[in-house]
Amino acid sequence: MNAMTAKLVVEGLCHHYPDEYTGESVHALEDINLELYEGELVSVVGPSGCGKSTLLNILAGLLPYKVGKASVDGKVIEGPGPDRGVVFQEHAILPWRTVSRNIGHGLEIRGLPKEEISRRVQEYVDLVGLSGFEDKYPHELSGGMKQRCAVARTLCADPIVMLMDEPFAAVDAQTRITLQEELNRIALATKKTILFITHSVDEAAFLADRCLVFSARPGRLKQIVTVDIPREKRIWENMNADAEFIRCRDEILRLVREEVSVAIEE
Amino acid sequence: MTTAVTALSTSIQRRIGRQKLRKFILGAIPFVFLLVIWQMNTAFEWLPPVFIPPMGDVFGAIITLQEDCIGLIGAITMHNSCSMTNNIFSSMGRVILAAVIGLPLGIAFGIIAGMNRTASKFLEPIGVFANSISGIAWIPLAIVWFGVGWLTTLFIMLNTIFWLMFFNSMLGVRGIAKVYEQSVLTMGGSRMDVIRHVYLPGAMPSIITGMRMSMGFGWRALIAAEMVGGDSGLGFMIFTASEEFKIEEVFLGVIIISIIFMATDRYFLAPLEKWTIERWGLVWKPT
Repeated sequence: MNAMTAKLVVEGLCHHYPDEYTGESVHALEDINLELYEGELVSVVGPSGCGKSTLLNILAGLLPYKVGKASVDGKVIEGPGPDRGVVFQEHAILPWRTVSRNIGHGLEIRGLPKEEISRRVQEYVDLVGLSGFEDKYPHELSGGMKQRCAVARTLCADPIVMLMDEPFAAVDAQTRITLQEELNRIALATKKTILFITHSVDEAAFLADRCLVFSARPGRLKQIVTVDIPREKRIWENMNADAEFIRCRDEILRLVREEVSVAIEE
Repeated sequence: MTTAVTALSTSIQRRIGRQKLRKFILGAIPFVFLLVIWQMNTAFEWLPPVFIPPMGDVFGAIITLQEDCIGLIGAITMHNSCSMTNNIFSSMGRVILAAVIGLPLGIAFGIIAGMNRTASKFLEPIGVFANSISGIAWIPLAIVWFGVGWLTTLFIMLNTIFWLMFFNSMLGVRGIAKVYEQSVLTMGGSRMDVIRHVYLPGAMPSIITGMRMSMGFGWRALIAAEMVGGDSGLGFMIFTASEEFKIEEVFLGVIIISIIFMATDRYFLAPLEKWTIERWGLVWKPT
């Protein structure tokens, strides 16, 4: 694996939009520059309203941008595409499809033969631990299982970059730490390039190779915190006594709190 | 182990069976009540038979109407002599024809209006206009345009079915969470994939409500249209019977209409609901 291949590149990205009521221009993002290298998991944290979800929507191709440049594997982002898979915050798996039909949906859209789809679906069903639930509909699953299904669906379509928008925000605390550990395991197993948006400092520090801290509005990249812990060692039980984890978490927390107090003063 | 599982499943089956029976009995009570009142009326002669005929006469009317009919073959081939079955088949034929044309058209236009702002601005006002007029108010105009016959009745039904279906499908598409569409687009899906995989199934709760409504209102409109502007069908049968003071045939017609509609609902619309939105967990279920 070439660690220096940038899979996702963002240069000088700005985003303004008119306020719905006053019509004034709101600066959501200001001069964002970032690079995501192959196999890297980068988390983005910042106070609410710092434009982190706006960034993800732009990268997903769901929100058009005018200033700056964003590209995946050298190809400029101009709309949604299968090279970028998204795991949404809400449960976005389709209620009218079974678990396996949801997971295979991306491949079905691409027109792959049925046998090939079911073979690869099985692989990801096993990876996220949904064996035995293949023929269940989403309403028969728990919140955590729905999100596992969403992650499997995105992985199965084999995107170059996986974009995750606060995917574990809507599940309970116990499920959340399990899902975080599972994502860590999946990142280790699949070597996927992942951009992970979150408002949780602990989550950001636990999962990230690098953590980008955003400033309050307009969203700017304030600082990058590198988390130097091998993935194999990342288990919540160990983290509470891990000096590197504590250092990174406290650093991120300090940076985010500065921004929160700035936002409150304004 | 195996016997335990079997015992468990039979006990569950028995419970489901009991629930079904309970539902059936509760639903049947009002009908039984009506039948009892009807019988009592005949026994005590509260109202004379010209207003409410004895039950036996109504069933006797079946034989009178089918008197000259040459057996099952005659009924199926719609031989002239089989007047009751001919009227049933001709009403049902129109309903099926109108449903086959009107339902898909209404769904298609509804989905287009639901997903596209321009199309909705274009179609919605005319839809509101069409819906403001009761379906049967078109009958006089339809008779002028198409004369007395099946075209008039078909027009009246289509007019009723299409607009109801259109509105329900449109509202159904508008109510779908945006994230489903976005998830298909980010997997590289086309507009057509979004229509097939998101809009159509996502609007299903509304589409099924629309089908129920439009088939119900469509039947009513059909019977009215057949009475005034038809030359066959159950509405026509009722109307001619009342002109000839054959009250038992009027009663028979009304009963047949209700039975056919209840059967459509039970054997077509309800299973469709069970197979789609109930299975997908999109319907509120009483526990």
